[in-house]
Amino acid sequence: MKHSEAHLEGEGRGMRQSKLFPVSVVGSWSRPPWLVQALRRRQAGEISSEEFNRIADDAVLAAVKYQEDAGVDIVTDGEMRRDNFYSFVVEKISGMKLMKVSELLDYMKDRAAFEEILRALDVPAFAIKSPIAVDKIRARDGLTLDELDFLKEHTTRQTKIPLPGPYLLTRSSWFEGLSDSVYPTREDLATDVVQILRGEVLALQARGVDFIQFDEPSLSQVVYGEEAEQTFMCAALGSRRDPSEELEFAVDLINQTVKGISGVKFGVHICRGNWSRKEEVLLRGNYGPLLPYLMRMQVDQLVLEMATPRAGELEVFKEYRNEKEIGVGVVNPRTDDIEDPQAIVRRVKEVLRFFDPERITLNPDCGFGTFAERCVNTAEIAYRKLKAISAAAAILRREYTH
Amino acid sequence: MMEKELNGIRVERFQAILDSMRDDPQVLQAVTGPWKSRIVWQGGLKTKAYMRKHVVDMDEPEGLDAQDSAASAHEQLLSAVGTCLTVGFVINATKRGIKIHDLEVALEGNFENILKWAGHSQTGNPGYPAIKAKLFVRADADEATLRELWKLAYEGSPVAQTVARPTQILTEFEAI
Repeated sequence: MKHSEAHLEGEGRGMRQSKLFPVSVVGSWSRPPWLVQALRRRQAGEISSEEFNRIADDAVLAAVKYQEDAGVDIVTDGEMRRDNFYSFVVEKISGMKLMKVSELLDYMKDRAAFEEILRALDVPAFAIKSPIAVDKIRARDGLTLDELDFLKEHTTRQTKIPLPGPYLLTRSSWFEGLSDSVYPTREDLATDVVQILRGEVLALQARGVDFIQFDEPSLSQVVYGEEAEQTFMCAALGSRRDPSEELEFAVDLINQTVKGISGVKFGVHICRGNWSRKEEVLLRGNYGPLLPYLMRMQVDQLVLEMATPRAGELEVFKEYRNEKEIGVGVVNPRTDDIEDPQAIVRRVKEVLRFFDPERITLNPDCGFGTFAERCVNTAEIAYRKLKAISAAAAILRREYTH
Repeated sequence: MMEKELNGIRVERFQAILDSMRDDPQVLQAVTGPWKSRIVWQGGLKTKAYMRKHVVDMDEPEGLDAQDSAASAHEQLLSAVGTCLTVGFVINATKRGIKIHDLEVALEGNFENILKWAGHSQTGNPGYPAIKAKLFVRADADEATLRELWKLAYEGSPVAQTVARPTQILTEFEAI
């Protein structure tokens, strides 16, 4: 089946979709050492946020240049101003405090199970930080508006802003013993989280962002994680309940956040961990258990990991054919090998059994620097991986555009 | 002028204390010992350890039909080793003016023949034949320097060296 480019105009919620198989990124780019140094100095109070942002401007420009040169159609700012994909909100939201897991150990219910996770991953508790709601939360001047403004000033490509999803933010920020004096339940905190994110989405939309992606990696921990109540896997620090209850909660929060908003494309990104190059410590399993819930989220695109066997068989998409757009993860951000464009094409063709070409975006499985101090790859390799995706996209376009 | 503080330690005052151990026999005597602990049985497998003005509870895990109301002695031994190594690392870093941001030590050990403890075996070592102690540290120094401090901490640790060497336990007994 051939598809013309013409009938793709106007697809999505107002996003310009000018060609088949657009290439995008999940969000984060590898941080140069001087940026990490500056980040540490800012966190230690040795330089101001303004000084840090001037330094980060250069890093953003480099990240954008890499993406543009590699042929990325929908670019991000590489999350260069962020400590990680969600904890950066502590500086943008009053009432939140960035706490190390080592500071949270005293409040944890199941410390022994948590210790097992630390041992399995061979990491110290001080290296993992999470924003914790310790007071009534209020947004200061937006969470990512500065990121978008700078990005739009310096690129003519379409823009994507990754936001921590409402479920992730609620789950990671509500901690018994620290949050409950202000928010007796997690649901109470969720109300304010949704309000803040909704305000952010409206402001981003008014500024002309093309794509807003909610990062909800902790959903995969709900489904594929161990039974431990608390884990920091994928930022899922807070306690969880029964998986179906958690997933319903997540669907409801996303839908409340985007309700009635048009003129921007929404995506949800799920992955199973991007903190280690050891594949065996990352979560695995097919998307089957998640799909009934993901399909009920009022978003346009699911941005999914599909480049490794951990993603499981794609047959699970059979009953959801074309129900959403799909951002197909086609390269593993955690390896040094550069994927062969032909292999990427073959993988996308497997996805094409369940999704039409105009519903497919190509991207890496996840970011290249989810955690500023624990980037999983260098900028050079990330760039070459993106180029491989672009090469695959070009082959696919030749085949599916007439 | 405010006294210089590094890693939560008043540097000059602390160095003076270390020097006095070398220069003042009375100080040396005081820090040499005897160090004391009194264990009072609390029923079941529980004890309380009284050390100067401090009390530490100890118990055994639930798997041993105990109440698991506190960490067990063999766990507290690991903690004592880890704490002593930590203190040694901090002292050595501070003496060199190195700021430590975060530090954790993860310890673990497996008993060689716990059946001897359980009364099912007459031979072998019921204790840990080895203890693994891994330091995680973030500090303002290069990796080689930090590795050297870790080595110094181990070599100079009274607790680690007690555990690592054959140490005589002079058992005595009195029935009342």
